[in-house]
Amino acid sequence: MASTTTQHPFAALTPIPPALPTIRDEDWRFTPLKAVTAQPWSVPSTAPVKHDTPDLGGARVVFVNGRADEAQSRLSGLPAGVTISRELAPLQQASPERPFVALNAACARAGAVIRVARNVKIEHPVLVVYSSSDGAAFTRLRLELEQGAELSVAEHFCGTGRHFLGSITEAVIGANASLKIARVVADSAQAVHVGEFNARLGRDARLVLDSIALEAEFARTELRVELDGEGSHCDLRGLALARGTALFDHQIHVDHAKPHATSRQLFRNVLDDRSRGVFSGRVIVRPGALGTDAQQQNNNLLLSDDARVDTKPMLEIYADDVKCSHGATSGQLDANAVFFLRSRGLDEATARHLLTFAFANEIIEHIAVPGVQQWLSAQMGERFHGLGGTARSNEQ
Amino acid sequence: MTQPLLQIEDLHVAINGTEILHGINLTVNAGEVHAIMGTNGSGKSTLTKVIAGHPDYMVTQGDIKLRGVSILEREPEERAREGVFLAFQYPVEVPGVSNMYFLRTALNAHRKHRGQPELSGAEFLAVVKEKAKLVDIDAGLLNRSINEGFSGGEKKRNEILQLCVLEPAMAILDETDSGLDIDALKTVATGVNALRGPDRAFLLVTHYQRLLNYVQPDHVHVLLEGRIAKSGDAKLALELEEKGYAWLEAAV
Repeated sequence: MASTTTQHPFAALTPIPPALPTIRDEDWRFTPLKAVTAQPWSVPSTAPVKHDTPDLGGARVVFVNGRADEAQSRLSGLPAGVTISRELAPLQQASPERPFVALNAACARAGAVIRVARNVKIEHPVLVVYSSSDGAAFTRLRLELEQGAELSVAEHFCGTGRHFLGSITEAVIGANASLKIARVVADSAQAVHVGEFNARLGRDARLVLDSIALEAEFARTELRVELDGEGSHCDLRGLALARGTALFDHQIHVDHAKPHATSRQLFRNVLDDRSRGVFSGRVIVRPGALGTDAQQQNNNLLLSDDARVDTKPMLEIYADDVKCSHGATSGQLDANAVFFLRSRGLDEATARHLLTFAFANEIIEHIAVPGVQQWLSAQMGERFHGLGGTARSNEQ
Repeated sequence: MTQPLLQIEDLHVAINGTEILHGINLTVNAGEVHAIMGTNGSGKSTLTKVIAGHPDYMVTQGDIKLRGVSILEREPEERAREGVFLAFQYPVEVPGVSNMYFLRTALNAHRKHRGQPELSGAEFLAVVKEKAKLVDIDAGLLNRSINEGFSGGEKKRNEILQLCVLEPAMAILDETDSGLDIDALKTVATGVNALRGPDRAFLLVTHYQRLLNYVQPDHVHVLLEGRIAKSGDAKLALELEEKGYAWLEAAV
């Protein structure tokens, strides 16, 4: 709680900022907000910030320090039935009771809305870049997919130096529509992120989401999915590669509100040095949500004795005739596998890199948004001493 | 006089403070095939792992020499590059690492050690295709993750494929024959026989005489309770098949 004598970290942005959560709040129990509260945040500068996100061949929406950057964006040339507008749409699904949602409601200055009309399909993914250099910024993105529409989106959170970004992405996925989205935090090592993605799915709608955290000081990602249509399906995957003193947190809420919906969760943390990983996966099966099939898996690889992971699966089942499973593993590299690789002539460092890469790459290689896998494979290569995507290539 | 390829001298080995091998002596010359037989728990697997340098096993006394030089202080990867190869009794699954990438990395580590240029992807592919035929391994398995979802027989064939690609001087096979049907067993034997030569030696650890019908050993040793109880030629294996191990246990 901010006392009257200490300045609230967001006081420069809004006259009455909401009290920030502490580790006494259940949803923040393992996520101390030190990186957020260490110093007060200023309004960000208007200096231009470059980004190095690769072109994915489609439209591009760029935010720089929380403001629309039209010079770097590309909003034209969209197929009929697709619009991208620079609106700051009011938040519709995010709960205003949560402090960072309230901050976004009070502080966001720029947003975008992507609408895809009935049965329209976009070929290339829409790239949304959030590039920041200083201060605190808040953004909103809204995705509206009408019945039978198909859209893929890649969100890239990047920048330089110490900055804060509070982003909210809301998606409404109509009946039989399909959204593929990849969220990539590959920012500076001092960056602080609190991001929320929420989606409401209609009948037989599909959501495939990959949340990848590669670099930041602090990245909290809340994924809230409401399976509000019979037969709807979501596939949520995540990977956090943390080092130094980084803290990466994935909070998942999957709400099975209607019968015969399926959900899959697979989240992995690779934690080195003194980094921390948090996974909280909550699945709610509402009364009457018969035939629900929910699976959740969280695997954690600890590369250092000082790294720490907190994992918290929660199943709340209020319906009969449902299939729910969850599992969590935490450990070090398999000593037998390390010995096996060394016994074939690979030195120990290479063997460990290869096994770590393989663990992480099982998430990367399944990323559904076209082009993102290739882009991140290159980043992984740098991280794992040149292994890149080649460890998986067919050598042909 | 040429050096023996492998010399094991008065080898005592412990794991977690319990001694398992109590003074093993064994000399293997290049060109020879030695079989090590024995009951479960006699220390056969321990012997193979300690030669390969498994970190869990502690040598408390004695020495292991490769071409006259002690390898006790060498890392497993150094032993491998010097020519020691262990085909595992229970090959590990390594999800996410393709067989091909792994094999090429391993072979190139060996080539680099020998001062040879590394092989390109295309050059390697040619090598591995030829070897895959020899061990009758399905080409589809080569692009899959190491041993992931492989049957027991496929895993063993994969070990022999690694053996054929890396061409080690001292090949050690730890119960590669156990759990194999007759066709897989013949394939393993074909791979071993194809590699037999004046510069290479084999140490075949086995439970059964069956493999030795296809790979004729020069020497057979019986390991019982951490000691070599008896050594002989190929006829000893037949004798064991007939009489079991009890008559030797009495002698230990």
